[in-house]
Amino acid sequence: MNSLNLAINILCVLSTLLYLLTTLRYDLQMMQQNSYRNKRYMHWLRSDFSWRRAYNFVLFLVGRFFIHLLAIKAAISGATIIGVIFELRKKYKKKLVFTPRAIRLYATSIFISLLIAVVIFIETQNLNYLLISILTSTAISPWMLILSNIINAPMERAINRWYYRDAKRILSQNPNIIIIGITGSYGKTSTKHYLHRILSEKYNVLMTPGSYNTTLGVIRTIRENLKPYHEVFIVEMGAKQAGDIKEICDLVHPTIGILTSVGEQHLESFKTILNVQKAKFELIDSLPKDGLAVLNFDYEYITSRPVENTSNVKYYSASDKSVDYYLDNISYSNMGSSFSIDGKGVVSESFFTQIVGSHNLSNILAGSIVARELGVSVKSVQYGVSHIEQVEHRLNIKKTTGGITIIDDAFNSNPSGAQMALDVLSRFEGGKRIIVTPGLIELGDKQFEYNSNFGAQISNSADYVIVVGAYNRDAIMQGLTSTNYDQNNIYQAPTFTDAISHLGGVLKSGDIVLYENDLPDTFK
Amino acid sequence: MNIKVGVFFGGRSVEHEISVISALQAINAFDSVKYTIVPIYITKKGVWYSGDALLDLEKYRNTDQLLSQCKEVYMTPTYGDYNLYKKKSSLFCSNVVSTLDVVLPVLHGTNGEDGTFQGLMDLIGIPYVGCNPVSSANGMDKVYMKMILRECNIPVIDYVWFTNRDWFANKEELITKVESELGYPIIVKPANLGSSVGISTGRDREGLIKAIELAERFSDRILVEKMVVSLKEINCSVLGESSDNVSSVCEEPVRSGDILSYEDKYMSGGGKSSKGMQSTKRRIPAELPQAVTERIQFLASETFRVLSSNGVARVDFIIDESDNMVYVNEINTIPGSLSFYLWEASNIPFDKLMDKLIQLALKRDREIRMKTFSYDQNIFSLKGGSKGGKLGSKR
Repeated sequence: MNSLNLAINILCVLSTLLYLLTTLRYDLQMMQQNSYRNKRYMHWLRSDFSWRRAYNFVLFLVGRFFIHLLAIKAAISGATIIGVIFELRKKYKKKLVFTPRAIRLYATSIFISLLIAVVIFIETQNLNYLLISILTSTAISPWMLILSNIINAPMERAINRWYYRDAKRILSQNPNIIIIGITGSYGKTSTKHYLHRILSEKYNVLMTPGSYNTTLGVIRTIRENLKPYHEVFIVEMGAKQAGDIKEICDLVHPTIGILTSVGEQHLESFKTILNVQKAKFELIDSLPKDGLAVLNFDYEYITSRPVENTSNVKYYSASDKSVDYYLDNISYSNMGSSFSIDGKGVVSESFFTQIVGSHNLSNILAGSIVARELGVSVKSVQYGVSHIEQVEHRLNIKKTTGGITIIDDAFNSNPSGAQMALDVLSRFEGGKRIIVTPGLIELGDKQFEYNSNFGAQISNSADYVIVVGAYNRDAIMQGLTSTNYDQNNIYQAPTFTDAISHLGGVLKSGDIVLYENDLPDTFK
Repeated sequence: MNIKVGVFFGGRSVEHEISVISALQAINAFDSVKYTIVPIYITKKGVWYSGDALLDLEKYRNTDQLLSQCKEVYMTPTYGDYNLYKKKSSLFCSNVVSTLDVVLPVLHGTNGEDGTFQGLMDLIGIPYVGCNPVSSANGMDKVYMKMILRECNIPVIDYVWFTNRDWFANKEELITKVESELGYPIIVKPANLGSSVGISTGRDREGLIKAIELAERFSDRILVEKMVVSLKEINCSVLGESSDNVSSVCEEPVRSGDILSYEDKYMSGGGKSSKGMQSTKRRIPAELPQAVTERIQFLASETFRVLSSNGVARVDFIIDESDNMVYVNEINTIPGSLSFYLWEASNIPFDKLMDKLIQLALKRDREIRMKTFSYDQNIFSLKGGSKGGKLGSKR
């Protein structure tokens, strides 16, 4: 073997190896963006034809049949080095984050690929087969990741179990902490924020942040944010399927539970509303005998289900005066809402809040019932309620220096919330009432029907409509046309950016703009 | 799970030693079932040390030896980083000494009671006991304090103030001003020192000049007050927050000269100065008519309120015995021995006082967090014309 031969062989091994590592890294990144779920990943893989994979397959074929030729080896070296450089220079919107889990998965995939290559080399004593093995692994890199994911699964489960036990241990070191669970199809995030604000008048309160409403999110909150001085822990509990909420309850053992609503959400997985009811009541069912259940009387799938395990059950309502607590004397102004809380054996107290929307007042009611039960004085509850800040993009009202009122409901996508937002919009007086919306989503086969109804409701509340994107355009337009809405007051914007620039030409001081839902431009 | 309290003491201040005593008293008062104490000693040069050796008062006799048993530590000003780090990092173990939950500054005087330390805590965003930077600074600065109290109709003794440079340039005019507005005798104080350092009296023009020349060695700004000749000094502590606080019983410290001297305040134990403010000779409760006690307690609470104080403070009063007028003399936002002896006399034991202080720190922290808006929106990324367009997406 002459020295040129040796050099090219070494170069070829190194460059193909390096290219294997970069390819695995890319697929790891894709795996991470698919939440490490093989099913989702494979689904994505099927929809994703890329030149990269074709290139890798060609490299494999060429290698498989012509690797014994020195010139081909040199060519493959060059091709793989180009591949590495191409990958290194590529910029991604969402970069790979080397979390411990990602590192473990990467290590496993590299280990398998190398193991196969080394075994083949030892068996055949032929460097060419080693090279073919590496090129094969590169060509099937996505499936290498899937295989590694399967291999790592028991270890990942064990690690999650360890985190689960660790969270349990941390919680047990704070035995006096009061745990409050909140669930419901709608309104749980707002209720969580309101309750947190009100209880903070008296207690050091921790809540699960943002959208952390799964078991892993709760574990993470406990391990990262729970401090020894916390006296109350508010846990938002989301359910994508039956058993989700029970799993969180088994971890934190709430003594107080709030059920804000049972409605038609996530019907793709739940199928029927009875299954939703069952899932949401997992929280109430896990409360101890001396616990407290706070339930929204305004949902028939809440009232139809008796609560037996807990003796202290409080129902609340936005209108029904037969229940334990209800809202009364509601009036809105462009400053906010005034209302009073009444009930069986309750002295009527009046409140003011900057928050608008009847569902939100109902959520405030739920929070103030819990605060009252935990011994927060009426004065403090009133102060807390008057200082609640609306959560960004959830029906919060801002005024610009140009005299324009903005109602930002960008995070809403459900029909009942949309109706409430339109109701709020219709109460404003002064200028033009404008709505900017791409419509509502994730409604299964009722998608068209709901958006058409939404269009019809818009015609009663808005003076000008900007429909964004094509996704729900026809449905909304049908709703608007059915009520003979003036076509001159409709603008169809292809993108959000276009909607905003069109809006600039329409707006006058005193106008009110409602942003209802904000699908990203890429949503098709 | 215990609450980790970082107790800071010592510091670059003439009251360095008193601070050590006050801090060790406080540390011993904490309920060890609920709290874990991390002592952090700031040397007179401003270097931070931590270690268990700091808990033994006897060891402070030989500072070098004491420090050799401790680790040099620091905190970073990064928001949200509550770690106390070792200065010397080692290869194999983490250089985090401890992660603090709450900070208790027991620093008297300059660089600790004046808001400087509190400013660092605000940058870090960690809950801490006592006044915030503004209240600390206003409480520390005798001139600003008097301006604020006078504005709020709280009685203070008449005064004149000027800077060192004013004095250098316009000596004669200022003397005339003092003589016409205040008359003699007077008392001269540096504007920004705690304790009684740099304070002296003058009975005539010569005495005035001498007193000013002493005071200007300690501060850039000088306060000249009318001196109450026949006086009684009364102290009253306040505990709580601006909007919700209580006053303690009153005390009357016993003095040996015109003013309560540094020696009276801290060394009256006969040279053995290991008991701090607690050992000053005093009458508790002070022998006063009920109405006067109530007036003092009210004024103490008002002073605490208008200065937006927090935690525990001691308000010092002067009663002019010739006409029984009551004046607020000063506020100490980190009082010697944390005024625990006044709270014990008011039926709040020392450990409960510490509980209350920690809860107050946490409460203020909650309130700040509820007020904080997000700064996440990058204004540079907003394009002209799309004002009010919302940013970000939930998906």
